[in-house]
Amino acid sequence: MLMRRLVLAIPLLIGILFFTFMLIRLGGQDPVGLLAGPTATTEEIEIVRAELGLDKPLFTQFWLFLGDVVQGDIGKSWISNRSVTLDILERIPITLELLLWGVALGSVIGVPVGLRAAFRHDKWFDHISRGISLLGFSIPTYFLALLLLFVFFFLLGWSPPGMGRISLLISPPPTVTGSYLIDGLLAGDLEVARSAVAQLILPIIAVAIISAAPIVKHTRAIALEIISSDFVRFARASGLPSEKVSRIVLKNSSTPVTTFIGTELTGLVGSVSLIEFVFAWGGVGQYGLNAIIRGDFAAVQGYVLFLALFSLVVFIIVDLLVLVLEPRAVAE
Amino acid sequence: MADLALDGAPKERSTIEKVWGKVVGISRRSPTSIIGFVIILFFGFLALLAPLLMPYDPIAANPNLILSGPSAAHWFGTDGNGMDVFSRVIFGSRFAFGIAIPVVIIALSIGIPIGLYSGYKGGNIDEAIMRVVDAFRVFPSIILALAVVAAAGPSLLNVVLVIGILDAPIFVRVVRAEVLALRSSSFVESGLIVGNPTWRILFVHLLPNAIQGAMAQTAVRAAWAVRISATLAFLGIGIQPPTPEWGAMIRQGAEFMVNGQWWVGIFPGVALILMVLGFNMFGDGLQDLLDPKRRSGGK
Repeated sequence: MLMRRLVLAIPLLIGILFFTFMLIRLGGQDPVGLLAGPTATTEEIEIVRAELGLDKPLFTQFWLFLGDVVQGDIGKSWISNRSVTLDILERIPITLELLLWGVALGSVIGVPVGLRAAFRHDKWFDHISRGISLLGFSIPTYFLALLLLFVFFFLLGWSPPGMGRISLLISPPPTVTGSYLIDGLLAGDLEVARSAVAQLILPIIAVAIISAAPIVKHTRAIALEIISSDFVRFARASGLPSEKVSRIVLKNSSTPVTTFIGTELTGLVGSVSLIEFVFAWGGVGQYGLNAIIRGDFAAVQGYVLFLALFSLVVFIIVDLLVLVLEPRAVAE
Repeated sequence: MADLALDGAPKERSTIEKVWGKVVGISRRSPTSIIGFVIILFFGFLALLAPLLMPYDPIAANPNLILSGPSAAHWFGTDGNGMDVFSRVIFGSRFAFGIAIPVVIIALSIGIPIGLYSGYKGGNIDEAIMRVVDAFRVFPSIILALAVVAAAGPSLLNVVLVIGILDAPIFVRVVRAEVLALRSSSFVESGLIVGNPTWRILFVHLLPNAIQGAMAQTAVRAAWAVRISATLAFLGIGIQPPTPEWGAMIRQGAEFMVNGQWWVGIFPGVALILMVLGFNMFGDGLQDLLDPKRRSGGK
């Protein structure tokens, strides 16, 4: 199953790369004009074009690009004037720190609420949780982030301003993992760690709220289906105590819920970039959004490739987890 | 028998009575969908009557009244250009509907034929189409929409086209699933034997039977369209300030919010949440109603 997933992923990755490559090049933005400047002559523009390799036919360009990508070279960002691969690699832990904490918190809240709603089907708890999760579905990610900042920074003054991952007055710790919290703790610098936590809380809450709504909805649906299945009805009819029946339901829900949280994670990278944007978080998401907005070709390519590889890795991890949770899957 | 009147003639129930009976039935089963419907109606009313309801021109700047808070003259205050936020919020509903409705129509008119064809033909074509649909599903839609709109050039038409096209795979999937279940039924076979061309089987015989699932999705997709178009405007791609569109207004309001001038961003944000919530609540009920698998809902 894992091998199949990997083999299927290769054409998908090439397809995604091809799509973004063509999209960017056929789009309205011309990097040559930007780089050469407004006073460049026609010859100068042609020289820049040849330097970037943009004078070759599109398919040749793609083929050369693909060769570079395989060697880990996505190109140079013309905003930071650095290798995109480096830019993205150093930002990955920054985004993961936010995403993983947020989804972890979202799952810790969402899964039990969804399960309880299923067990209390059509009771008031079910209706209220359904209403709240609909609200969570409807609130725009960036507006939620802005609201949190407005309430907890401006009105209550509990939170630091949403400007980056650490207070501007504190110098960042030496880089080990890329997470200021972990690096601060490793360096034994409690002030750094405290500031990192203070900056983390609001964006994590934003990610948790955005991720919890679909988790509640799907956990409830999954558990409801299992509750109404034949084997649970049989367990009930056999007179098993209700805790035992609940345990059967929980055990059978674990695989589909895990799979769902995994697939949600791949979509959430998009929403997280908006949260990063509002909090000036400086991770891959914000980097990618800026690249798209400012037409930084190579950086957009790198970002898209990152998103594709990220979902691939998540699916592989989910597959492995399912193998652990569900011995039946091994046979397939 | 209960419908028989005293004189023995069957009592005709008028259409109004029948429709009302259905409404009562739905509201008992899913009160949220009725609330959602009322919210959509409310915004529809705002959009239609906007010129009558707006106290000021939504893009008339009053340089003497920049960033003044909510007052009797300006209920929602004024923004950084001195424009009336209340009038702008009302006008924004026109953008929301003006984007959501064509987006859903585009997505349906692309998604349904492809879904019908894919499910009916099966084989390699179906496999290839489903791979593409899956690729769309794995990729974060916000980022895809952003990248395509940025490349295609930020105009309102492009925003609508791109969001509509990106939304089509959902309908492909839903329609295909229904067609797969119907493909081998006898009415399709008899249609074939009588000599109907493929397009007639697809659109005359299969479509009416396979469209329910797609219809159930429309309201939720409208919610998504409103949300994502506002997100594009918030990021400065697509609709630009000072256009009175909610996302663009939140973008303007974002910088003032942390200085305490909350009214510039909060009011359009609340309008946006309410409208998306309305479509989602209505859509939730619609799915329950049109999807018999969801109707039973356990027990």
